[in-house]
Amino acid sequence: MTYLALLGVVAFAGFISLSYEILWFRAFSFASGGSPTIFGQLLFFYLVGLAVGAFASRIFCRDRDATGDRRNLIPLAAFVYVANLLGFLVLPALAWFATTLRAPAAMPLVAIAAGSWGAVLPLVSHFGIAPNVLAGSRLSYLYLANILGAAAGTLLTGFVLLDRWTIGSAALFIVLLGLALAALLLARSASGRRLTTLGIAVIVLTGVGYAAETRPLFDRFYERLLTQHGYLPHGPASEVVENRDGVILVTPTHEVFGGGAYDGAISTSLESDKNMIVRAYGIAALHPAPQEVLMIGLSTGAWAQVIANLPGVEKLTVIEINRGYLQLIPRYPEVASVLQNPKVDIVIDDGRRWLAHHPQRTFDVIVSNTTFHWRANTTNLLSAEFLAAVRAHLKPGGIFHFNTTGSADAYKTAFTVFPHGLRFINFATVSDSPIVMDAGRWKRALDEHRIDGKPTLDSMLPDDRRRRDEVLALARTLDAPPVAYGLESRAHALSRIDERAGVITDDNMLPEWRGANEVSFPPHLDH
Amino acid sequence: MTSDVVAAKVATDDRNLEVSEAPAWIAIVFFVSGFAALVYQVVWQRALFAIFGINTEAVTVVVTVFLLGLGVGSIVGGLFSRVVRHPLLLFAISEFGIAGFGLVSLDLFKRVGSNAFDLSPVATAITTFLLLLAPTLLMGMTLPLLVVYLVRQSGNVGRSMSLLYFVNTAGSGLASLAAVFLLMPRLGEHGSVRVAAFANFAVGVVVLAQHLRRRDEP
Repeated sequence: MTYLALLGVVAFAGFISLSYEILWFRAFSFASGGSPTIFGQLLFFYLVGLAVGAFASRIFCRDRDATGDRRNLIPLAAFVYVANLLGFLVLPALAWFATTLRAPAAMPLVAIAAGSWGAVLPLVSHFGIAPNVLAGSRLSYLYLANILGAAAGTLLTGFVLLDRWTIGSAALFIVLLGLALAALLLARSASGRRLTTLGIAVIVLTGVGYAAETRPLFDRFYERLLTQHGYLPHGPASEVVENRDGVILVTPTHEVFGGGAYDGAISTSLESDKNMIVRAYGIAALHPAPQEVLMIGLSTGAWAQVIANLPGVEKLTVIEINRGYLQLIPRYPEVASVLQNPKVDIVIDDGRRWLAHHPQRTFDVIVSNTTFHWRANTTNLLSAEFLAAVRAHLKPGGIFHFNTTGSADAYKTAFTVFPHGLRFINFATVSDSPIVMDAGRWKRALDEHRIDGKPTLDSMLPDDRRRRDEVLALARTLDAPPVAYGLESRAHALSRIDERAGVITDDNMLPEWRGANEVSFPPHLDH
Repeated sequence: MTSDVVAAKVATDDRNLEVSEAPAWIAIVFFVSGFAALVYQVVWQRALFAIFGINTEAVTVVVTVFLLGLGVGSIVGGLFSRVVRHPLLLFAISEFGIAGFGLVSLDLFKRVGSNAFDLSPVATAITTFLLLLAPTLLMGMTLPLLVVYLVRQSGNVGRSMSLLYFVNTAGSGLASLAAVFLLMPRLGEHGSVRVAAFANFAVGVVVLAQHLRRRDEP
């Protein structure tokens, strides 16, 4: 096997091993609900596996100069085979552990699979590089080829395969490539005809077996990953959208999980208000004339549907990071029309980046139904730096209305950066100008609010009037002793926030690392 | 130095081989170097995501650029390994360079990022590449330099490679846990990169001392 062919081998190995890592990360991250520590945990097992595998390969490197000795390709083929045999199984094992023990129980399997990959580069180096003065430079080319392969993995698997295929199909594609590499190495080794035939037969059987079993092994894969969060996979199937941006799962009861975390429900109804959509309707009470609104995060479209139909709203710009929601929304009549609403402009981008790219755009209201504060990268939407960026996009008298998901840090940050504000259930509503909660304006807005021509609450119907008055009663809680499901002034809230709470910055990423030291506000609020 | 000369320098029994190919200080410094590299990677990724976004395109660019930088560094290290007489000295200089960059990295990212918001995706990728080129190049250089140093002693490429790969990757593995459970939660991004820079600086000092001790050895 020539040095050039070995460059191809390590590039291919880099591509396959990094592709597995991408698939594993997607699955483990979903199972954790997007925990900020999951990347570190997975990387730990992956790297420790690689390290141990690299060290174990020394057993096969006893000869000082084994350059070109094709016997060394036998263990190399074996390691590549085991790496793929187990690499594929990590995913079904994760789903199994998620429904039986806990998802992290599958992590050691990552280490074992990665361990087999760890042996590849040393073994190829031993086989392909003579121990002379050129060793360093020849090794550097192998290392480069391995890295280029890995970079191709991030691009092809992360960008293309996961955008078009399910995780099961992508895993099958990767494992078949890996098994083909093992077969190639065995065929080029000095293993003897009998061993080669036997080995290749085993490899082919493994590939055929995996191809036949992929569908059952990945059946309701993401549903099973959610089991540990209290969601049961039994009953009617959920709807799953997978693309390069992530995974969205909609349960039969229309609850939505984005990246494994609850992301709202497809409901605009104030009657049941199972998703506390009253916080979206509340904008009409918080701002005297919300003509131009920016919403960071589209999710199910329920919030956009409500806000776009608020009286007086002329333009709603929505920034959404995951294109998958645009596939889901047309399937649900309650929200489908939001995509055709001429007042609504939906942009696929990172919210923070979009703000930075559009310094000239200003709004009466900026809304962010931000995901759980403990998830990875939520700092980017909760930090003082982000709030400062939002402030620069508010018109005079403009408000920022965002979900703190009960994080005392998020409230403290909002009420520190902005001089005016209030707590609206678990939202912080802040501004550079005083905020006047106008119940009369809210009543008029609720009476006029229609979605697809149908009144949200029909003031002619007694039940709807009763419900409207219940909603309006929320406005009166601002002057009453604070309750979790109510409003509270900024000053009062600041006096009650736990002193352990701090101002979130891009540097300290406070809410992501709280873990067991979580500081909630208000206490015992049902998020 | 030809392969014959290298072979002549190699001790003949396995025991000598183990001693000569794996001095404890090399294992320790490369472990610490791997630890620091991964702390940077985790922190820099976070910092760059805040600047360029956490959408798939931005994340892919940052990860790919980091990998490519390491690859370019590997080539540069490989080229140097053929011509430099003192790979340890170059290794020490690389560690000092990484430490220096680490100390200014976050402020540099922020400064460049605040002027790069209007860039196209391709220009953003190039900017990210240029931002990360210097440190990742230095990081990528270290492996070939140490491999050639060890091979000169042991004459065994596979075992030298596996030892270095093992300790460096193990250091990175430990850092991946330390970064998310200890460093970033307690010290934030700036504090974490300071720890990493201190680690690089300490490695540089140890390796420089070893170089000065051994520079006259045949």
